[in-house]
Amino acid sequence: MSGALLQLDGVSRRFGGVRAVDAVDLTVAKGEILGLIGPNGSGKSTIVNLVCGLLPLSGGRIRFEGRDLAAQPPHRRVAAGIARTFQNIRLFGQLTVWQNLWVAQCAPTERSVRRFAARWLGGQRNTREAIGEPLEFSGLAAKRDQLAANLSFGEQRRLELARALAARPKLLLLDEPAAGMNATEIAELDERIRRIRDRGVTVVLIEHQMELVMSVTDRVAVLNFGRKIAEGSPGEIQSHPQVREAYLGAGGAP
Amino acid sequence: MDFYLGLAQTLGVHALLGLSAYIVLLTGQVTMAQAGFFAIGAYVAGMLTVIAGWHIVPALAAGSLVTALVACAIAFPALRVRGLMLVVATIAFGEAVRLFFFNFDYQVWRGEIQVGPLGGEGFRQIRYFPEHGWSTLEVMLFIWGWVALALAALWWTDRSRTGAVLRAVGEDEIAAQSVGVNLTAVKVSAMTAAGAIAGLGGGLYAHYTTHIEQGSFTLVLATFAIAYPILGGLSSVFGTLAAVLFVQGFLVEGLRFLGDWRNLLFGALIVLAMNLRPRGLLDAATATRLKRLFAGPGGAR
Amino acid sequence: MSALELVQAVCDGLLFGATYAVIGIGFTLIFGVMHKLNMAYAAASLAGAYASLLVLHFVHAPALVVFVLAGAAAGVFGLIVYLCCFRFIPLAAPLAPLMATIGMLMLIDESIVQLTEGMPLPYPVLFDDVMLYLGELTFRGDLLLVFGVGLACMGLMLFLLYRTRLGLATRAVAQQSMAAQLCGVRLTRLNALTFALTGLFGGIAGAMIGASVGTLSPLLMLPVTIKGLIVAVIGGLGSIPGAIAAGLLVGAFENLFQFLRGVTERDIYVMLLLFVFLVLRPGGIFAAGRGRD
Repeated sequence: MSGALLQLDGVSRRFGGVRAVDAVDLTVAKGEILGLIGPNGSGKSTIVNLVCGLLPLSGGRIRFEGRDLAAQPPHRRVAAGIARTFQNIRLFGQLTVWQNLWVAQCAPTERSVRRFAARWLGGQRNTREAIGEPLEFSGLAAKRDQLAANLSFGEQRRLELARALAARPKLLLLDEPAAGMNATEIAELDERIRRIRDRGVTVVLIEHQMELVMSVTDRVAVLNFGRKIAEGSPGEIQSHPQVREAYLGAGGAP
Repeated sequence: MDFYLGLAQTLGVHALLGLSAYIVLLTGQVTMAQAGFFAIGAYVAGMLTVIAGWHIVPALAAGSLVTALVACAIAFPALRVRGLMLVVATIAFGEAVRLFFFNFDYQVWRGEIQVGPLGGEGFRQIRYFPEHGWSTLEVMLFIWGWVALALAALWWTDRSRTGAVLRAVGEDEIAAQSVGVNLTAVKVSAMTAAGAIAGLGGGLYAHYTTHIEQGSFTLVLATFAIAYPILGGLSSVFGTLAAVLFVQGFLVEGLRFLGDWRNLLFGALIVLAMNLRPRGLLDAATATRLKRLFAGPGGAR
Repeated sequence: MSALELVQAVCDGLLFGATYAVIGIGFTLIFGVMHKLNMAYAAASLAGAYASLLVLHFVHAPALVVFVLAGAAAGVFGLIVYLCCFRFIPLAAPLAPLMATIGMLMLIDESIVQLTEGMPLPYPVLFDDVMLYLGELTFRGDLLLVFGVGLACMGLMLFLLYRTRLGLATRAVAQQSMAAQLCGVRLTRLNALTFALTGLFGGIAGAMIGASVGTLSPLLMLPVTIKGLIVAVIGGLGSIPGAIAAGLLVGAFENLFQFLRGVTERDIYVMLLLFVFLVLRPGGIFAAGRGRD
């Protein structure tokens, strides 16, 4: 498929006898915001881990930009353009905000020796521009020398997002970014996700906050017990009988 | 005076040991391999100056290079085991190296005597420095020249992206992978660099003591090697240096009057230190406080 | 050398390997429960054997009493190690307990060297005059005793772990310490008990090591520590059956290569055995492949 950025064909993941993900087909078109919802344990985070290469496939194929990701290790997938955030924030707590972004700063092509040297041996001056952008975007510029562990929860979430963006991804997988946020923060997050898409990044949003999902996504796919049970526009999903049955709603007005 | 110069030489070589362990510990790998690297560097550099008649600098470089290659080679299988299994694997490596040299003979005739390693007897007559008229002071300065180089290199690394990446790997491998860090490359590189530094230290050690034997490269030495960065705290290379000065300078020398009971005290002191300051003498909190103290009010980075 | 001599060497090694198995179980059990290595375990076990010798200064006690005392003393030492290296160190500093146990190892080692002035001490032996013949193979009585006691220890440890409430609590803590506490397991109590019990069995193993050659030497501390660790790793950290199999394997391997290449070289081959396992089966003998912490 020409417009597909990410394609999952019959993707499965088994843990012993448990089928965490069961023959899921999913297509993510370039430039869209796809929502991935489902009850706890339905396999959403597992799919993210499979796409990112942290877990091996038990079956099926994952294609990114038309190419099979096969057994590519996680760091290669990041270089190819896939980035993610974690459900439980996984920042480098003992590193500063700046350093967290610095580690992620990964140019898609690093062929030249000069750029290689600059990246690995250079002090902070060399990479100021490249990190400056995600730093500004996260609104944490004033706190760039603070240890990540000392940030507030909301700031940490913003840093996590900025760090994923610092890797200059084409596809961004957000794993429950709104968890623990209040309404104001969710509205800000909504705005941020739209701005990310406007810059040409495709977004897959895993969330339980239905208002956010309904508001910001173009399409939604629903998982239950590792299988995809529905797919369509937010409105279609809301009134889908199987979805209602599987997923006795977490908020959201009909 | 000569006594203090000798002490300074020991401090320098131990500093290299500590720095070697420091860089690996940053990546979260606990390694007991430093004594083994030290031994390889010592024997190789020694054999090159004594048997092959090389000049000291290329001999040191070659010893360091060989050690780095060995370190690189064992880093790969070491990747397959994590955490505490790595401790055991590196202990076994260190012991294997020691036992290897215990059984290693390579002697040649130099005039009327035989020189070269002789198994359990060790490797005597590593007399490059005396034969070329180096004074104790010159040797000490030579050693510390290398230490300064290593310190500078590691300090600079700490401030660069490489330092941040090393620490990121040490903190959270999964997160590091997920932002594009090649774990294998980082861990193997760290171990290789550590091998180079420890190998250099070993070569210097062989030449200033003029006599090395397998009994010098034991688990105890490997313990000292990781004790320095752990005691000194991993936030800064200078913590390791401070720990070396404290342990070797103050404890080893200052408590020399205790004679044999000294080793006993070490063990007890380590246990005490770990209970009182589990994050090391110069942990992140202390380091920050020190920075603020020296930077003064309104001080910036 | 003949095939018979090889088989004999392997058999003798297997018998002695029971002691390595018990020490390996001690290391692996503590790792399983606390997710930390207790580097001082073998030293504490041998120290128990040394302590049991004290009794002989005052009374002429039968060998079996001495062996039991070794266990008791080592149990106490195990508790001391727990208190000094684990009880008060916060979980958030992972390197500190490791370093502390290394310090403890040095402390124990040096204490023994000081107290015995570095000289090996005679240790009671049983059944050394008994020989069992099976076909063309000879089985020394003292080695058979060592093997038997080792097996008994292993059996008791397995019984405790799998058939008692204490064992259940231990396994619960090993899997989910937070949840186990929520279920009422008193963590510090359990950990202390784990150290004491593994110490007890370790002390008996230490006594067996002494009883197999008739002497105790401070030079034993480091090699037994290293081989115990190797056994724990080859068996898979946290796996008791693995430690048992690995202990016997290491014992056999060690004695075989002592026969083939002599005492000074044999340990190199034990290290090589470890590396082979690390490359081929990092998860341990009974694991299915990739190793985990």
